Parts: sequence; structure tokens; C-alpha cells
Amino acid sequence: MASLIETLVEELKAKLIAGFRLEGVTAATINADMPIFGGGLGLDSIDALELVAILEQDYGIVITERAVANKAFASVRALAEFVAANRA
Amino acid sequence: MNGEFSILAASWLGPEGYGNDLTGLRDWPTSLAEQLQRGDLNGLHWSLLSDSDPSRFLRMDLMCRLGFMAVELLDAGFDTMSDVRREHTGVCIESFTGSLDTDIRFALTPRPSIFTYTLPSTVIGEICIRFRLKGPVLSLVPTAPGGGDGPAEAIDWLQRGEAENVLCLSIEAMNRSTANSLPLPPELSAAGWHAAALLLGPEENPSRAQPLTAGPLADIAASRVRAPCRNALAISNRQKIQCG
Amino acid sequence: MATALKQFSVALAGKGVLTAAGLGLSPLQRAVAANTGNLQRRDCLIGKTLQSVIGGFVADEITAQLRAADPANRASRPFLFAAAAAEQAVADSGRILGAIPAARRGFVLSTTKANIDVFDQLAAGQPVPLAAQRQIQPAFLATDLAVRFDCRGPLQCVSAACVSGLLALQQGAACIRRGRADAVLVVGVDVISNFVLSGFNTLKSLDPEGCRPFDLGRVGLSLGEGAAAIVLVRRELAPAPRLLLTGCGTSNDANHLTGPSRDGAGLALAIRRALAASCAAPEDIDYLNAHGTGTPYNDNMEALAFRTVFGDHIPPFSGTKGITGHTLGGAGVIETTLCAATLESRLLPGTPRLRERDPVAPESLLETARPAAKLKRILKVNCGFGGTNAALIIEREQP
Repeated sequence: MASLIETLVEELKAKLIAGFRLEGVTAATINADMPIFGGGLGLDSIDALELVAILEQDYGIVITERAVANKAFASVRALAEFVAANRA
Repeated sequence: MNGEFSILAASWLGPEGYGNDLTGLRDWPTSLAEQLQRGDLNGLHWSLLSDSDPSRFLRMDLMCRLGFMAVELLDAGFDTMSDVRREHTGVCIESFTGSLDTDIRFALTPRPSIFTYTLPSTVIGEICIRFRLKGPVLSLVPTAPGGGDGPAEAIDWLQRGEAENVLCLSIEAMNRSTANSLPLPPELSAAGWHAAALLLGPEENPSRAQPLTAGPLADIAASRVRAPCRNALAISNRQKIQCG
Repeated sequence: MATALKQFSVALAGKGVLTAAGLGLSPLQRAVAANTGNLQRRDCLIGKTLQSVIGGFVADEITAQLRAADPANRASRPFLFAAAAAEQAVADSGRILGAIPAARRGFVLSTTKANIDVFDQLAAGQPVPLAAQRQIQPAFLATDLAVRFDCRGPLQCVSAACVSGLLALQQGAACIRRGRADAVLVVGVDVISNFVLSGFNTLKSLDPEGCRPFDLGRVGLSLGEGAAAIVLVRRELAPAPRLLLTGCGTSNDANHLTGPSRDGAGLALAIRRALAASCAAPEDIDYLNAHGTGTPYNDNMEALAFRTVFGDHIPPFSGTKGITGHTLGGAGVIETTLCAATLESRLLPGTPRLRERDPVAPESLLETARPAAKLKRILKVNCGFGGTNAALIIEREQP
């Protein structure tokens, strides 16, 4: 299970970098345990919606409640665990 | 056409090259020239014109990127402009292809960050945010690429005192590959690409100001850039946008 | 004389409308009088899946009726809707428009996405008539409509998000002021499409239960579709009593693209410009028709803007998108048409679908329709994506 999460962490980092067009940011510079939003990546509310769309389209996970999103987006690792538990 | 108001700055980006009314038309770097002539615009990057942070540019769609570059290329001193003047600077854009390139991309990959750009007027927002412009705004759709009444609208605003300066833009942002991805009427798929900007207002810098001639904005800008004024007093200090 | 100083000296000589309430002004006015919302639930394609959506849909029977009457344009609902509204406006203008030579009749169209409807069919390789394909381009749609209505004067097409309609009216009035036309047919139209539903869906801006402007429990907007048309003429060409379009103001927030941090300053600036253009003071406004989409942010921001301009004396105002939905490029013209009808009927619209007023909304919010004691001047506002704002004033020439 641990290595599945690690694989997902790397996969999600790549999607964040591509999806948010973060130039100059590499997987190595994203701390998997820091908050995704408010954690220094300079992301805004549209990016949060973008992440919701990525989860729907790439993993088949539909989020309808903010509370669920807040918990899942707490960090890249939290997101990986959320995806592993909920993917279609 | 109009005696009181002048072209204070003009810029142009197109397949043949880019420049403003001081630098003249310059060739694209060899690494980009061929793609741009083919209509593949993915290689356009902010660092061509500026060393400043590219992160906003990277998040924008093609139409906004072209508009942003055209305004930056004007080298019109927006960064040092007074707040009062910004509040009275209007923005008028015209685009035949509008946001069609982005519309097609959105239809393929429906993402919120793309949807905000599926309107031809979003570029006004991006420009106004960056340069803090709060004058009147207008977004027109002409019946042919590069055609449009933008300068006439601008003169009306200026004459009526509704604006002190007007930034007029003509943008056609259809990437060749997007144009080919959907069966479109020929006028749309063959529209080509360009971005042209004019800053209009009362003459203040005689070595740079030029009389406003009649005609579509895109043609006026192109001819101003092809016949630059190489007056020593008017040469820019900006590292990247300079003559020669 | 005061009128000479106003931005425009232009009269509204005719109007027509097609909305979720039905074809024509009467069903719209009945909905206002009864304070009923006209949003309906339908299964719509969003992306590749069918989803249940509440919106201000034009009734299927009306679309079918319009297609049957104009089979050549059956593949373009924007054309059919716009033409239906324009026909009413032309008829409503009586002999005025007919007496003006075609070369002196201008045309302005407002639309955000024109015939974007046909994207799905094009992508699937299905045949689409060339005329309908060409109408993906808004100026081509404008040209085809101008030909249909024999307007051979200046042609313009405005596409500026949700403020397109008010800008189109401004442009029509400007065209007359500049002496380039004696009349301008101004039309606004947009349709509910997979494309736009998909977009607002990715932004999570839609209220799954239908919009509730200025309501405490509001969560989002509802899309709408339809069209409206107004015939503007040089003031002298319209008989008394006249309805006049006197001023328009625009601005950009220069703040944030999609809205959360808007403090209303941009909209307040647009309203101030419109007041100045009309030589009017804030206390001269007798009714304000808000943008009122029903998103938490928009309605909040408007409330702030109204307070900034009007202080403690905000005129009676309401949000009518509970009847029509948010018709995007059609909104400015549809809602101004409703305002013109209000100047005539003197019945101020309420805010259909409102259950409980958000305390942040000023107390002068009209919850139900109410006859107006004094009604000379109406202010119409819209706010759009990308931070654009527009405000327009229409007034009765006589008190």
C-alpha cells in the first residue's frame, strides 16, 4: 500500500505541474506534506476547481462538497490517499 | 483623419516578425521563425520580450498571450504612468477569430482554467489587471480578420473626453493545429494570426507621436512598425525592446 | 437645454423578446406581475453525459414553431431566436422604421457564443449546413440578421461576456449620435449549449436547484437562453411620449479575472459614468434592475457597489434572472427590454424565486412586484467575466 501511495504522489505531482503550468517547478521541489493551496505554489481558487476537474476526468472521482475537497487537498500525500481510496 | 490625437506607440507581432514603431520589424529568432510562419504558435514565450515573472503569461490562453505581448511590445511607459492617467485609459479590442482557438481546446479538455478564456473580452481583463487601467472598455467582432472600427471608437472616446488615452488591439489567435482539428468554414480556418496594438491620445512626445491615418487598426500598426521613427530621443532604455 | 448635454438623444421606438417565459413581451410581463420564476428542469448533455439541469429554457414548442416557419435556418437557434425578437421589435416600431431608408438603418448584435451549438456535430463529423457553421462567427450571424431585416447601414457586433448587451445598446446609440444612421436595430441573443453548460459546470457556478438572486441560501446561477431586440431611433423620429436612452458607462475592475475579490468599485465606477452621461444624480434613479446572477460573490459585490454609489438611499431594485435565467450575451438587451416595459407599465418587478433576503442585500430589494409611485428613470447594470461592468440609463421623457 505504501508504495502505491508513493507512486500516486509522484503521478499527482506531475499532474499538478502540468495542470497548473508551474514553470520552474519540479517534482523534487514540491513537498508532498505541505498544503497544496496556501503552501507557496501561488495557486488560486480556479486552480482548486482545476484539481476537482482533473480528479473527475483522470480518476473518475466526483467531489461535491467543499469539506471533502479541503481534506483531500491538505497535501499531495493526503490527495494520493484520497485518490487511492476513491478512484473509480 | 484626425488632427488632435496621435498614435503614441504602435506594435505588431505576426508571421513575418515583431516590433514597434521605434524598433521596426525584426525577425523572429531562427529557432522560432519557421514554426511561427507555419502558424504553430506554441513556441511563443514571454522571455522574448521581458525578463519579468512569466507565471501569469503561462496560465493565459493564446489570445491573451498575444495581446499581452503586443501591449508589452508597445514600450509605452505603462509601468511609470500615473494612477489618474490609468483611470482614464480605455481599452478597445477587435478580433475576428476571437476565442475560437481556446473554444476548441475547451471542447476537447473541459477544464475551468481554460473556460475563463473562452471569451474574446477576457484579454481586456488581463491587460487591465496588469496595468491597472480603469477607462471605458469595448470588445468588437469584425467581419474579416484584421478588419474593425477600433480606432474610430477610440477617437470618439477621446473627443468626448470619455478617455485620455486609448489602447486599441487587434488580435487573431488561431493556432494552425487547432484550426485543422475541426471542420470549419474557410474564413475561420484560414484567418492566420497576428497581434497589433496602438496607443492613441494627445501628442506629448513629438519625436515619437505620429498622425493617426484612416483604415483598419491592424494595417495602421503594421505600416507604423514597418516605417519606424529612429529618432535618438525616442530610443527605449528597455533591455529587450531596443533598436538594432 | 439639458438634453443637449446628455451622452445620447435616442428614443426606443420598438421592442421584442423571446425568453423562458415565452414568445413576446406579454408572457414576460405576466411572469413579472405574478412574480413567478420560469426556470425548468431538463436533461442536458454536459460533456458526454446527460445531467439534470435547471435553466431558463425556451420552450421546445416555440423552437419547433420557429424552425417550421424558417426551415433554411433550422440549424441555428441563435438566428431563429434573434429573428423572432427582431420581427416583434420592427412591428412594434410601426411605420417609423419603414420610413427610414435601408442605408440609414444600422444593426448591432450582442452575443457571447453565437452558434456554438454546432460544435458537437462538427466534432462528430455530422453534416451541418454551411450557413449554420459560419454563424459560429458572431459577425457572420450579425450580417445574416442585418440582411434579413434589410439594415444596410453600419453593422457592428459586440462580444464582451455578460456586458455585451448593454454595450450593443451603447454602440447603437453612438451610431445615431455620430450621424451614421437614423435608426439602429439592436439585438442580443445566446442559447444554452453543451459548451456553456460544461463551462459553468467546471466552475461549479450552477445552482442545481435553480438560481435565487439576493437570497440568503443562494449557491449559484442558472443559465438562460433567448433574445431581445430594440429599435433605437433619433429622438425626433419617435412620437411623444418617448422612452429615451440617455447614457451608458463601462469599466473594468482591474482586479481578479473571475471574481472572488471584487469589492464593487468597478461596477460603482460604471454606474457613476452612466449617471454623469445622463446628467443625472443618484437620487434621480427610480428603479435599478440588478445583474443578480445568484452566485454568492456576484450579488454580494453588487450590494457593495450600490452602497458605494447610493449610500443609504439605494433605489428600489430587483433581480429578474429567476424568470429568464442568465442569458449571457442576451441579458443586456432582454433585461433592458424588461426595463422599458416597466417604464410603460409602471409595475416594478420583484425578485422571483427569492425565499429569504440575504441581510447583506440592501432593504430596498423588491421581493414582489409593486406599482411605482414615481417612475422616470431606470438604471440597468450587468457585470461580466474578466471584470467588465456596464450601466445604462433609460427614462421617460415626460414625468
